[in-house]
Amino acid sequence: MAFSNGYIFGFAATVCVVCSLSVSGVSLSLRDMQELNKERDKNGSILGALGLPEDGSAMDGPTIDKLWKERVEQRFIKPDGSPADASLDQDGDGDLDEDDVRLAVQAARSADKAPAVLNVFVRMDGGQASAYAIPLAGNGLWGPVSGYLALDKKGREVTGSTFFAPKETPGLGAEIVESYWEDKWKGKKLVKAGKSAPIRVVKGEAAVVCPDSIDYCVDGVSGATITSRGVDEMVERAVRWYDPFLSNIRKGA
Amino acid sequence: MSSPATEIQQERAPLFGKKERTALMDPLSDNNPITVQVLGICSALAVTIQMNRALVMSAAVIAVLITSNVVISLIRNLIPPSIRIIVQLSVIASLVIVVDQILQAFLYDVAKQLSVFVGLIITNCIIMGRAEAFAMANPPWQSFLDGLGNGLGYGIILVGVAVFRELLGSGALMGVKVIPQAVYDMGYVNNGLMVLAPGAFILLGLMIWAQRTWTGYAEEA
Repeated sequence: MAFSNGYIFGFAATVCVVCSLSVSGVSLSLRDMQELNKERDKNGSILGALGLPEDGSAMDGPTIDKLWKERVEQRFIKPDGSPADASLDQDGDGDLDEDDVRLAVQAARSADKAPAVLNVFVRMDGGQASAYAIPLAGNGLWGPVSGYLALDKKGREVTGSTFFAPKETPGLGAEIVESYWEDKWKGKKLVKAGKSAPIRVVKGEAAVVCPDSIDYCVDGVSGATITSRGVDEMVERAVRWYDPFLSNIRKGA
Repeated sequence: MSSPATEIQQERAPLFGKKERTALMDPLSDNNPITVQVLGICSALAVTIQMNRALVMSAAVIAVLITSNVVISLIRNLIPPSIRIIVQLSVIASLVIVVDQILQAFLYDVAKQLSVFVGLIITNCIIMGRAEAFAMANPPWQSFLDGLGNGLGYGIILVGVAVFRELLGSGALMGVKVIPQAVYDMGYVNNGLMVLAPGAFILLGLMIWAQRTWTGYAEEA
């Protein structure tokens, strides 16, 4: 059967409209659940980096929500390490939240200075801060990489880490999200001769490349030089930005 | 726009006659999309490290394949031949995005593991192949069975490869350790090759060989 040009154009337009309506309908109706999943995924990773739950068991959604609410406190700080207040609001909604930090970090990275406001996640044990998780953000090979570095309550040693690499190559750059690599960060030191020292991600094996300062070096991921360099840079930057805050907690303030 | 004659013929046709059985059973072995037609190899290599990934991927492909076959079959007489490929692709791409969104909402962990490979179902040749070769020329019920059969044929091979890869590569099945620690203590080590893509290549090659020996299938020269 021959189809007229008009019919063909009409049919193509109808297919486009029907397809796009169904896709956007599904996307809209599931968005809330997807956002909740992402939020829980992120919170679960921070909890994991902070050593929660203590027995290391897998968590379901409600457990994550409960632990997050009860055991983790988000604090906002100024570049000099003192607590920030609502006057540092960046997005104009009147209070401090993660969006403000995101804006401040964006502005700071383009201007190469410390952001006006930073956040840190604090693990609370019986009302006392027992560990800190500082956010990391940088660039990998194909897109952003990010993560959290958990420090002991004296801010001297890494107790855990978690990384996200949504765009990196599976098997190469994306290896940084695997637990074997995250575990390499445990026990690394952040203080050298009384000063903050960044942990470097070296090319190759830390034991071979920097045997003298093994406490400050992490193995790079083979085949993923640029992703490793991205992690190295974001850790270096975070340690620089959080240095005043970390000095404060080291002094016991 | 089917003629009245064929419609009457269809009504009289049995619900599960010879043609229907062929559509469902053929792709399981004699005309398996992976081992005989060698389609969909990319995902067969990529998502077979663990059994649960292979199962979810198979379920996703079966869902997309069945729905795309039925949808294409329903509108097969309305599709102008000159734009049929792009119409098929639009239908398939929409369905894949819907599946991806559903996975992200209800099975977030698995969606994260499968990552890009769900999106790549769009380019899985099996789906377009069935739409073009079968659904464009057959009524919805037969197309449904053809989609189910081909999806299962794909899934069987995927899970088969995944069983060997997970067992030999990580000593586990469905993420549960099955090789006892005592065996490792005696010096057994997991085969690292099985975790990498070449391991899947070798296994798939062996499976194609075994299956073709079994059915006596030979490529036409």
